[in-house]
Amino acid sequence: MRKSFLVVSITASLVLAILLSACGGAAQPVIKIGVNAPLTGDIPKVGEGTKYAAELWLEDIKNAGGLDVGGKKYQVELVIEDNESKAESAVAANTKMITQDEVLVIVGPQASKQAVPAGEVANNYETPMISPWSTNPNTTKDRPWVFRACFLDPFQGPVVANFVTEEFGFTKAGVLYDVASDYPKGLAEFFKKAWEELHGPGSVVAYESFTTKDTDFSAQLTKIKDSGAEFIFTPQYYNEVALIVKQAHQLGWDKPIVGSDSWGSSELIPLCGADCYGLFFSTHYAAAGATGKTKEFIDRYNAKYGYIPDDVAALTWDAFGLVQQAIQNCGKITGDIKADRKCVRDALAQIKAYDGITGKMDFTQGNDPVKCAVIVKIDDKGEFTFYKSVCP
Amino acid sequence: MAVVSETIDERTTLWSRMRVWLRKNYGEVPLFAWLVGALVAAIIEMLVGNPFARLIGMPRGPVLFGFLIVLKTPLLIPPAILYNLVIYIFPTLLVARLLGSLSNRIAGWLMDRSVILSTLIHLGLLYATLHIWASFNDYRVLVVKLILLAIMITLSLNVVNGYMGEFSCSHPGFMAMGAYTASILSVVFFVDDSVFGPAILPPVLGQFAFPLILIISGLVASISALLVAVPSFRTRGDYLAIISLAFTFIVKSLIENLEIVGGPRGMRGQPDWATLPVVFVWTMLCVWVINNYVRSTFGKTMNAVRDGEMAANAMTINTRRTKMVTFLFAAFWAGVAGGLLAHVLRYVNPGSFGIQKLAEVLAMVYFGGLNSVVGSIVGAVGFNLLSEALRPLELYKWIIIPIMIILIMIYRPTGLIAFTEFDVKKIIQPRNRDREA
Repeated sequence: MRKSFLVVSITASLVLAILLSACGGAAQPVIKIGVNAPLTGDIPKVGEGTKYAAELWLEDIKNAGGLDVGGKKYQVELVIEDNESKAESAVAANTKMITQDEVLVIVGPQASKQAVPAGEVANNYETPMISPWSTNPNTTKDRPWVFRACFLDPFQGPVVANFVTEEFGFTKAGVLYDVASDYPKGLAEFFKKAWEELHGPGSVVAYESFTTKDTDFSAQLTKIKDSGAEFIFTPQYYNEVALIVKQAHQLGWDKPIVGSDSWGSSELIPLCGADCYGLFFSTHYAAAGATGKTKEFIDRYNAKYGYIPDDVAALTWDAFGLVQQAIQNCGKITGDIKADRKCVRDALAQIKAYDGITGKMDFTQGNDPVKCAVIVKIDDKGEFTFYKSVCP
Repeated sequence: MAVVSETIDERTTLWSRMRVWLRKNYGEVPLFAWLVGALVAAIIEMLVGNPFARLIGMPRGPVLFGFLIVLKTPLLIPPAILYNLVIYIFPTLLVARLLGSLSNRIAGWLMDRSVILSTLIHLGLLYATLHIWASFNDYRVLVVKLILLAIMITLSLNVVNGYMGEFSCSHPGFMAMGAYTASILSVVFFVDDSVFGPAILPPVLGQFAFPLILIISGLVASISALLVAVPSFRTRGDYLAIISLAFTFIVKSLIENLEIVGGPRGMRGQPDWATLPVVFVWTMLCVWVINNYVRSTFGKTMNAVRDGEMAANAMTINTRRTKMVTFLFAAFWAGVAGGLLAHVLRYVNPGSFGIQKLAEVLAMVYFGGLNSVVGSIVGAVGFNLLSEALRPLELYKWIIIPIMIILIMIYRPTGLIAFTEFDVKKIIQPRNRDREA
């Protein structure tokens, strides 16, 4: 028994050694694009939107017979990794995609708590990464290899402040935000700063906070109501927005409530209903009444997956458009992954006017795009209609 | 009917034949030979892993024994199995077999010299294997680091939940304390930061100060553990669980409201000091210290407190002191692990230290086994490997893993390997001693 085992092992290794020496030969390089998405965990809807937009884009490329780079068609492959909405997993997923799958570019992660650490990995391994949705300045700060497709909170805060001032002529603001979540907190701070610059210190008459997963806001809302605020700004996610708006109306609040891009989910209206009709929020794009490319994307997405895409899907779509543009601008794919990544990064940093469905983007002034915001009004049918566009 | 019994028969004979064969050929192979075998396998993979994988139809050598690639493209199952057999299993078996008697002599000789020397050599071999295996791909380095950290966290929680029989939920809180302390120290002293200003000490010294930073983080976690330890004198069971859970929330809220450390946005900029050897050394230190702690006389008083606090008191055990020291001791290691984690990810945010983390740590402890060092290691390694390997399944992963834990709770209520002693001497000793004697 022992002898036969030895004999078998030795012959096997010999045969292998011979075969190994004979192997080799390179095929046409395949362009691999990594997607780091929260498919499970806290925000699965975001992950789903990311995945669907990515697949829609891949379908286009496949229909065109591959990605045309410098006159040659290349096959494109998506590597979709689940980051479970956890920082550790986002880092692991990025490391795996970069070192094992050898992706050319990474799209994602969406939420900042994954995008910040994952960006560190991408930057260390010199792989271009573009986060469609992360608004934390840390994601791209001092990281030449990390980009984003959305505008930042320091831009969005003043946009809302200016809009309310011009539209309603209010001078006293009430703010209600989640102190434990980085996006609402950051935006609330930027809004407060912008508002006080416009109307002087003390013009934010109520600055109330709560903690993630709170469901009763009556104490904060009563305070805001009693403070004499003329409107409420609440940069919360759709599930909280529904609760806040309903509870405010129950307490007899009849003045406007204004929100931010986190409102723009397809789940908002089913949860909030008629209470949300007539309210405004700032966001990346307006689905209802869209024209041209934006409409085309929305219709295709709706036809395929059965609902209107939210801003995550739209931004992911744009991120893929940017990636495609950068690869094509780069002009050649050598198969040497290091050189290709460098080429794509440089091309991405030189994009001057990319016409995406969420607006024109300019990357020549840093890794955060210069782009316009959209003010959306929720109409009487619960659709998000375009109201006006605000540019920097 | 006849057919069924026949197949079962055949199966058992095959299985028993294999077991007999394994016992005959490998019953006397000591750990030393297995480690050398694994090392050889890792070297083989480093040399021919990628070309061999391409030869059998895979794009390159699979990172986690082929799990990740197989779950995405099931067609690659045969090549993945072949790869594992040829690269890992055959070489390991072959080397272990060939070295069997020789390594028994080496292990015996080392044992006779000094147990410490022998242990260190075994650890060296283990590290060499891990290092070479991980250097094949940086993703593996990260996975190994996270697994080693999980071992530290699981083990330290097992001291409280397993050995002392309390149900503590404050581990994420201790980890957060450690992670933030370590981050602040290393950023303040050794990094030019926009919030904390320029580095106070030259960054070159950082590597050397890192152990000190980790010890301080552990101590800070220990001090914060006093908050839980003091009320825990009076409460047990559910009440302690609630108090310790409250502690986790307090720590999380505290950090969320501390603007200087970034609040909910978290903190980045930790230097890359938590390399594989650093994490490995700390983990081994943790296993060694905790193993000695739980096997000491003092450690046995924990079991006494668990089995009957009043009886233990009557037997002159100072139960207060036992609880206090154990809590602080466990918190220390959680803090160290947190500090290391912050430097592995190079980013911390309070959101990572919430209920989800707690569920993960508790699952690892109960999966591996209460009151057992080996159990904790098995739990941490098994849970993490499984969790990483099943990630391509996305949602189904969160169905499979909980079902496994439920099954384990049904069939082995105290975990896979519970209530065992971890005796290093027994593990590293030569396997032919009985025959010689």
